[in-house]
Amino acid sequence: MNMIKTCGAVLLVTISLAGCKKSYLDIAPKNFLSDDAVWASTANADLFLNDIYNQLPDINNETEHLDQYTDNSDVGVLWMNGYAKVATAQITPSSLPTGPWDMWTWDKNYQKIRRCNLFIQKVAASQLPGDYKTQRIAEARFIRALLYHWIWMAYGGVPVIKDVLDNVTQGDSIYRPRNTERETFAFIDNELDTISKMLPPSYGAADFGRPTSGAALTLKGWCELYEASPLRNPGQDPNLWKAASATNKQVMQLGVYDLVSDFTQLFLAGDNNSIESVFARQYGPNHGSTIIGKEGPTMNAAVAEVSWGNFQPTQELVDEFSMSNGKAIADPGSGYDPQHPYDNREDRFYKTILYDGAPWRGFTISTRDGGNNSIDLGYASDKTHTGYYARKRLDSAMDPGSYFSGICYQNYMYFRYAEVLLSFAEAENEVNGPTADVLAAVDKVRTRGNLPGIAAAYGAVNQSQMRDIIRRERRVELCFEDKRWWDVLRWKIAEKMPDGSPGVLNRPEIGMVITGTTGNLTYTRTNVRNRIFLPKMFLMPIPQFALDQNPAMQKQSGGTDGWTNGQNPGY
Amino acid sequence: MQKKEQHCAFFSGYALLKILLLMKLTFILTVVFCIQVSASVHSQTVVSLTVKKMPLNKVFLEIERRTKYRFLFNNDLLPGERKVDLSVKDEEVTRVLDRLLSNTPLSYKLLEGDVIAITPRAGAVQQKIKVTGRVTNEKGEPVPGATVIEKGTKNGASTDNDGYFIINVDSAGSVLEISSIGFETQTLALGGQTQVNVLLKIAGKGKLDEVVVIGYGTTKKTSLTAAVSTLKGGDVAQKPVADLSNSLVGRVPGVIADQGSGEPGLDGSRIRIRGSSTTGNADPLLVVDGIPRSFAQLDPNSIESFTVLKDAAAVAPYGLAGANGVILVTTKKGKSGAPSLSYNGYMGYQNAARIPAMVNSYQYALLQNEGAKNSGLPNMPFSDNNIAEYKKTVDKAADADPDRYPNSRGLRDVLRRNAVLTYHNLELSGGTDKIRYYAALGYTSQQGQFATTWLKKYNADTRVDVKATNTTNVSLALNGYVVDQHYAGKVDQTAGDPNDMYGAANGGIMYQAFRTPPTSPIYYSNGLWGSYIGRSLVGYIYNSGYAFNENTQLLTTFSIEQQLPFVKGLSVKGVVSYDPYNTFSKIWRTPILSYSADFSTTPATYTPGYTEFSQPQLNESVSQNKAFTYQGYINYHNTFGQHDVTFLGVVESRNQKYWGLGAGRTAYPINIDELDQGGVAAGQISNGGSSSEQAQVGYLYRLSYSYAGRYLAEVAGRYDGHYYFAPGKQYAFFPAFSLGWNIGQERFMRNAAFVDRLKVRTSYGESGNLAGGAYQYLTGYGIYGNAAVFNGNPTTGVYENSQANPNITWERAKKFDIGVEGSLWRGLLTFEADYFHERRSNMLVTPNVIVPAEYGIGLPQVNGGVMSNQGIELSLGTSHTFHNGIRIDVNGNFTYAQNKLLQVYETNATYNNPNRRQTGRANGTQFGLKALGYFTTNDFTANGSLKPGIASIPDAPVQPGDLKYADLSGPAGKPDGIIDDNDQTVIGRPNGSPQMIFGLTPTIFYKGIDLNFLLQGAAQVTLPVGGSLVHPFDQQGSATELAYTDHWTPANPNALYPRIYSNQPDYDTRWSSWWLRNAAYLKLRNLELGYSFPNALVRRWGMQRLRAYIAGQNLWTWTPHMKETIDPEARSSNGQYYFQQRVFSFGLNVTF
Repeated sequence: MNMIKTCGAVLLVTISLAGCKKSYLDIAPKNFLSDDAVWASTANADLFLNDIYNQLPDINNETEHLDQYTDNSDVGVLWMNGYAKVATAQITPSSLPTGPWDMWTWDKNYQKIRRCNLFIQKVAASQLPGDYKTQRIAEARFIRALLYHWIWMAYGGVPVIKDVLDNVTQGDSIYRPRNTERETFAFIDNELDTISKMLPPSYGAADFGRPTSGAALTLKGWCELYEASPLRNPGQDPNLWKAASATNKQVMQLGVYDLVSDFTQLFLAGDNNSIESVFARQYGPNHGSTIIGKEGPTMNAAVAEVSWGNFQPTQELVDEFSMSNGKAIADPGSGYDPQHPYDNREDRFYKTILYDGAPWRGFTISTRDGGNNSIDLGYASDKTHTGYYARKRLDSAMDPGSYFSGICYQNYMYFRYAEVLLSFAEAENEVNGPTADVLAAVDKVRTRGNLPGIAAAYGAVNQSQMRDIIRRERRVELCFEDKRWWDVLRWKIAEKMPDGSPGVLNRPEIGMVITGTTGNLTYTRTNVRNRIFLPKMFLMPIPQFALDQNPAMQKQSGGTDGWTNGQNPGY
Repeated sequence: MQKKEQHCAFFSGYALLKILLLMKLTFILTVVFCIQVSASVHSQTVVSLTVKKMPLNKVFLEIERRTKYRFLFNNDLLPGERKVDLSVKDEEVTRVLDRLLSNTPLSYKLLEGDVIAITPRAGAVQQKIKVTGRVTNEKGEPVPGATVIEKGTKNGASTDNDGYFIINVDSAGSVLEISSIGFETQTLALGGQTQVNVLLKIAGKGKLDEVVVIGYGTTKKTSLTAAVSTLKGGDVAQKPVADLSNSLVGRVPGVIADQGSGEPGLDGSRIRIRGSSTTGNADPLLVVDGIPRSFAQLDPNSIESFTVLKDAAAVAPYGLAGANGVILVTTKKGKSGAPSLSYNGYMGYQNAARIPAMVNSYQYALLQNEGAKNSGLPNMPFSDNNIAEYKKTVDKAADADPDRYPNSRGLRDVLRRNAVLTYHNLELSGGTDKIRYYAALGYTSQQGQFATTWLKKYNADTRVDVKATNTTNVSLALNGYVVDQHYAGKVDQTAGDPNDMYGAANGGIMYQAFRTPPTSPIYYSNGLWGSYIGRSLVGYIYNSGYAFNENTQLLTTFSIEQQLPFVKGLSVKGVVSYDPYNTFSKIWRTPILSYSADFSTTPATYTPGYTEFSQPQLNESVSQNKAFTYQGYINYHNTFGQHDVTFLGVVESRNQKYWGLGAGRTAYPINIDELDQGGVAAGQISNGGSSSEQAQVGYLYRLSYSYAGRYLAEVAGRYDGHYYFAPGKQYAFFPAFSLGWNIGQERFMRNAAFVDRLKVRTSYGESGNLAGGAYQYLTGYGIYGNAAVFNGNPTTGVYENSQANPNITWERAKKFDIGVEGSLWRGLLTFEADYFHERRSNMLVTPNVIVPAEYGIGLPQVNGGVMSNQGIELSLGTSHTFHNGIRIDVNGNFTYAQNKLLQVYETNATYNNPNRRQTGRANGTQFGLKALGYFTTNDFTANGSLKPGIASIPDAPVQPGDLKYADLSGPAGKPDGIIDDNDQTVIGRPNGSPQMIFGLTPTIFYKGIDLNFLLQGAAQVTLPVGGSLVHPFDQQGSATELAYTDHWTPANPNALYPRIYSNQPDYDTRWSSWWLRNAAYLKLRNLELGYSFPNALVRRWGMQRLRAYIAGQNLWTWTPHMKETIDPEARSSNGQYYFQQRVFSFGLNVTF
């Protein structure tokens, strides 16, 4: 019957389809590149490096910045690391703050370091052109040094791993002990010295974002300054200061960098990769940031809280801004009036801080009692707890509806030239006192801010006065740029001051309560919250999981760094 | 806004159109088949016959022999003396009969099933035939209220209290259909009888000759040597749950399931068969009509049965996919007979079953101030004046100012009450011996607890079974559905864990609902809405655009089975299935509107503001997945004396192809939600796409032997190949063996008359589980777009994947099972009990702890984990009919499964500490600090520092009312006065699947009334609680009323929660036994009360059967150890999830 034939045919077809050919299971994946392909061309190898650049901390999308760990800014809300862990001294090996965008998260930094190591190893072994190798390997080594410098600052000595770990071929040697703090520094310092000679002084626009020789020297100079400062240089070794001074001077002598005249525009997209920018994370379409949404003032006039107000400058920071005559507010003759505290301040104050009465996007910020951004001392909302918001680095031209749409394309500068000038001045002042070079460097920064020079404001100053001026200048110029935390650590003023009084992170935070009506306002300083800083906190604890997994570290006790079973003192 | 909440609960024109399109193909195929089949039937209705002087009855028999027709006649009616001559060639039987009966008082009637009844000629008064009978159950007891219908007519009767009925039928050849709720429907061909006895069998009971669906076939329950449980589709069809996977819990022994959410479309249960035996994927394999597919979205009414395969013998045919158990779903087929059209449907109302009560604004203000004081903040958040104002609002005082001092309730102000759940189903079934058909349409509409969350589902099922020749069976089945899911635009339905779509990770609605404090206005009194921290709960739900998923699945199965005439009992079968699955998703996100109030003016001014974006954004994506399955079967079954042999061999291959495309635009200048209308600048246009392919091949066999029906043996196995693995390592073999002994049929049991049947069985074998992902054997580099920016443009990035493991392979399970099953006292007690043990090896574990944290990349997973799992399951059933006609059926089941990790990677820090060692403990055992209670003033010296010898977390500034932890160990293995990770110990059982689960399903029948419910419980499960559910002001959130009433104060030293702070410090919130709850529960999962209208009444209304019922789901929950009012099955520890719903419904079952 026909039907049977039909069925037979169907069965045959079915069985032949089911009992299939040998290669039936051999399906090639479509989302992989093979090892050979990645390192076969410069174009492909560049893709790998693109990913490495993308691992740099994305600070402009971070909610909490390093300044919120310090006396520069409140945290906005109490559950963030800056308060919950740092200000209350609740830091343990199992629970530690990791810095903005995992800046010093142990395992994530080593993941990024591995990528650098792999790139360096693979490109070196490849058949790619020699000049390509030199340039790109230097870039990868720069980023590796940058990553190491963060964990070195946070933890002290760390295992310096320069090769690609492989548990199959290396056996137990994958367990690397911690290098001492000084060895780690030496590694970073030497690397940057070498790299600075391999990298070009500048790039065309297509390569903006890659490190220059100046970037390598700037990072080197900063690490040397960190190492020379009291925290890491208890013996006051002057050679460390000299090195820091010389390296920063080298950057100045490159002739590549200068200051941008407009202190507001400097941080916005229009001035991306300006003459002042030394090394920056690049932003652009599809890769924008939410910085203004996270850090801007919570209210525009009476309109809803479109920003989270996470930068909340403290009164202590506000007090550091000079008067327009160049004098600090505490100086005699400064003209500071505590009941008109925002009058006649230096130019940078108005470009950095939003205060009661400050204009913002056509409205007026009012933090006074009953105002649209009335100070919230009880931490019941996102509104300012100090009486201030940040103005600096925020683009007032952004439409509030877009604050969280990621269409803000301003770069984040890890380093800019003003810092180089101040670092040079600081180191040189320690070496040779307030020389003309020192004054010139600081004045260059001050005068951009329309401040009179130091001599004009103060006359002659001694080394100690100069130190104070530089520190204040640094705090004001670099606030909200994730510098203050490292500065108060390295200056060793977090826990207690040199005179034994409570350190800057060991005293109550201060805010400004304003009552009354326009023309008849009363300004009252008030304690906003307490801060505690314990001696152990100058270093982060090595995370418990890292110690648990590395017997080589567990064996490390004593030594110059005073470790116990690989852990930092006090933890 | 409120208007939007009313969605039409009935078919829209659009819906119908969609179903029609879906069914078009089905319809065409069905028609083609029918035409062909009717042609072949037609050819058998002619006869060639030459007879001389033959009595009529003999002539009829001759025609019977030569055609497909069967005759029904009463010899008394035939004129016995009449003999006829006849000579015809290829003539229609009907014409022959016309001629034969032309001069007689007789006529004939063609009945269904090719039966020709010889009847007295019409014209005279139609003589009805009176038939009497009695309907009894298996124990000989009468079945009152049973419906007796003459098939194909509207003629019917009911049995009286003693089971007797009288019905007048048209012909001696009529067919009766006898049905009663709770019994299997019986059909009875009268064949001339006028007095009949009908035995009704209890529905769903393990009958002696019950046929059970098993892997790649069916078998008799008595011949089974494997551990298999079944559930009738009808038992769950009308329960008001939209997702079928929620139907199994508590009803099938061995199934451990929990429903973690109540969200439409995502409220499915996580099902574990005999618990979880692996650290990897523990989901069972789901099979619908023999093909691996999910059943969750099928129309509940289209399910004939569920079968759960549990032991090695049962899952052996599934090879690499069987180790976690298999759930087989069989969909309905047509039943021969006159077309039967029925309607099933219900309408229900859903409300969140358990909602945490939150503080009011007055309580919130007091609690905030208490926290600020305890935190040492110098300033209080709320002044006395403000507190008094909030109190006025809470008290609804006449002079309250609820706009400036609101008392909003995040959850309750926006949760929709009485969300409607509707279900309609139309079913048509019928056929002849040659062809049977089944067709059904289903429609489900489920509103969500937010007005912008809803689901609509359209099901269409058709199946045609054709007996194409005497030896050929052909069938075509199409099960299709369209699921439309709708959300607010703020809900990212494509992101992350579906159970967390409303949680913080996705900026979600429930996160905001818990966060928004009562002092923040959700709605102002004028109906406008406010925001909290730039986030408006109302804006999120109603003003954020929309997200829409439309998923279309078609399950197509075509099969041909051919008996091979040359060997008795041998047949071959080919099955081809093609399952296309298409998704379409559209996400239109708009700027989110909310209002700020300025109370400095009178009246207050309300200013609109937008957040998220300044202009709308659109993302659309489409994908298609096509699964092809080809199966070639050889079946052999024969009996040689006492020896019974069955053999099955199958070749199966599966292939799946996927592709997806997505495109998006931002910066819409106008509000038209089409791709073309968006921004055109760089960075405003995006697109993407990907594709992949999968393949699998398997060769399986099963050989069963039984001797005299008493001694049973079976071997089965599968040689399986999968594309996941390296060439040369793609195939593996998974065999199983089983034995059974039907003791009940032994001679020596004849004296034990109370035993209906009794069987012991045991099995042992290996099965596999596919773990990990594809291509783990390859070294490779991943690629992604949007890496670092250079020159203002993002670039492509490439990164090193984890290392390759060329040896990667399957998980292997060695399973042992021994069970006993039986029935006593003629079904009064049925029972089944099993002990099972499994050893799972080759589990994929990531050996990260054997490399330092500085290693920098994930190690490849290795097949290094070993785990055991063992337990018992029991089921008991009883059925009893009381003298007054009340029948009670009770089925109960109990499952206990406990696993144990035998080999996993652990650090020395945990392995060497007996309190912390994971090896040897259940997978997922929860470790943490052991909380002892609160510090008391006695623990402190006069100056407020802790007394020496009291262990504490270093530098934690604890005070009375803070949590105190046990100092159990230290780095040296001894208590060291410091509370740190070394003090962790076991504090809870695994989270998620309970280790013990049971269900009780009593059913009561009385006349037309039926009542059934499911009482289900679980034990030995620990639920962590955290976040805003227990920690006040977590993430600037609100607080629960429970936290307000029951936190530590000097006056309430034994409170549930510790001291309140503005921000609960880490030393009070850290992971400890204090934040774990024993989540044992007892639930009244569902209840159904039905009434079948009396026959006479129903008939008058033109129906055959009418039953109305009310039902409920999730009606009552008892969790004695949890004070927090979230569901004990919640998969979210902080309550920020989509609550499980309680449903009340009303439904109808109508057969026309």
